[in-house]
Amino acid sequence: MVVAVSTSWVVDMAFAVFGMAAVLTGYRVFRTDSMVRASFWLLASFVNVGLILVLLNARFLGFSVVLMMAGEMSVMAIFMVMLMMNPAGLNPMTMVHQHRTSLAAGLLAFLALASVGVLVDFPDDPARVEPATVTAELGAEELGDSMLVFQTAGATLLATMIGSIAVTSRRGRYGDAEQGSVPPPLRPEADPADGEGAA
Amino acid sequence: MPAWLAAPPTVAFALAAGVVVAACLDAAVGDVVAHRVPRWSSVVRPWRQAAVVALQRRTSSERPDRQAWALAPALLLGLAAVMLTVVPLAPGVAVADVPHGIVLYGAAAATVLIPAFLQGWSPNSALAMIGGYRMFAQGLSSMIPFALVLIAAALPAQSLAVGEIVASQQGLWNVVRTPLGLPVYLATVPALAFWGPLATPAGRDLAGGIDLEAAGAQLLTWRVAQAGVLVGMSAVGASVFLGGWAGPLLPGPVWVVLKTVALLAALVAMSHLVARVRIERFVVLAWVGLLPLALLDVFLTGWWLL
Repeated sequence: MVVAVSTSWVVDMAFAVFGMAAVLTGYRVFRTDSMVRASFWLLASFVNVGLILVLLNARFLGFSVVLMMAGEMSVMAIFMVMLMMNPAGLNPMTMVHQHRTSLAAGLLAFLALASVGVLVDFPDDPARVEPATVTAELGAEELGDSMLVFQTAGATLLATMIGSIAVTSRRGRYGDAEQGSVPPPLRPEADPADGEGAA
Repeated sequence: MPAWLAAPPTVAFALAAGVVVAACLDAAVGDVVAHRVPRWSSVVRPWRQAAVVALQRRTSSERPDRQAWALAPALLLGLAAVMLTVVPLAPGVAVADVPHGIVLYGAAAATVLIPAFLQGWSPNSALAMIGGYRMFAQGLSSMIPFALVLIAAALPAQSLAVGEIVASQQGLWNVVRTPLGLPVYLATVPALAFWGPLATPAGRDLAGGIDLEAAGAQLLTWRVAQAGVLVGMSAVGASVFLGGWAGPLLPGPVWVVLKTVALLAALVAMSHLVARVRIERFVVLAWVGLLPLALLDVFLTGWWLL
């Protein structure tokens, strides 16, 4: 991989392959008929984007994209199956809705991004060799002074996630969920199952 | 021969050799645990079992997702190969001697969930699919402690390159320096490789789970790929926690192989000596036990470095 990256036509070809694969797999997300398949097509698209980041010498970001998306798409697949009342995502269902609106939105977004790609005068400055510098500079460029805010938000989100897992755990504060846990009554003599405290 | 041309056969050979060693170890440990004297015939047994599986008639279920089903073993085998590419045999000698090797390894280990789920989901069969869901449950629960102990091991090296992590252990191995690392790693590897006590996705209580509908070459490739993942995780574990090429008398690459085989033997022995864990219990253990231990490992290593 290190050898291949140093020769430019190999990089160009690899970029073309990964780019087209990212677009095609992204297209397949909406043409498939199962939520589980849609999740994994989306994962394939993200993996190709991650590989493009690797080509851009931002290897840490590229590998991280694959790492995060593998877990994220797994979670998305099970959550969609749980919430959509479609057993195991096996019942065929369409992945698109609001055809006219989405068509207009898609075209508009494509034209906007394509015009940026065509019209903007990009700097012709090849990425430096040290990927560590690339990652650090990209982080400073994107977040800059807000780094502390984002780090704090990250820690807060983590605490929220752990808290929500603790709240939804089977052994909750009102007892074991399988024993039919109910919140305690508001009046001490009342029956917990019926009364103000019951759900 | 240019380096990039030599890489694929090297990785394929390492993978194949590792899988054969894992199969032989499995047969030998199985004999010892069953109070039988290991014989040479034990070494033949895995080959015979493989031949039996390969010659099975390919079965199919009702309306499976054939493409995903065919993809699953190939993808798992590819991920095992990616894991082996980051393992350095000597200073600077690795197939992918990249500066973020440990992140690449983490990405490969996290992606193992996808083929394992597909193997259970694609046959369109209820028990197999439950196996796939179990894989998600145990994989997602063990991934964070797994990644945290790797990060803690990378802290003293101040680098995410596996070669640098090995080089930083020349005085003191990480198994001593970050004592919680290897135990947590060895507790999470069976979950990610759905192996031994955590082979719950393919559990007997599910009549075989994700393996239930598979047969023939597909099943054989799947088993080989699973053993390959185990080999890859042992090899990286040997580099990250056991000092890689460091050791007296023998040359460095021999030490890498010896340490990998030692970890592989430990994991194989685990499948014969440790009872299957119920998935509900493991999920609680992972979130309540392993995750705080892994965080403690990170904090202690940081404190030690300060």
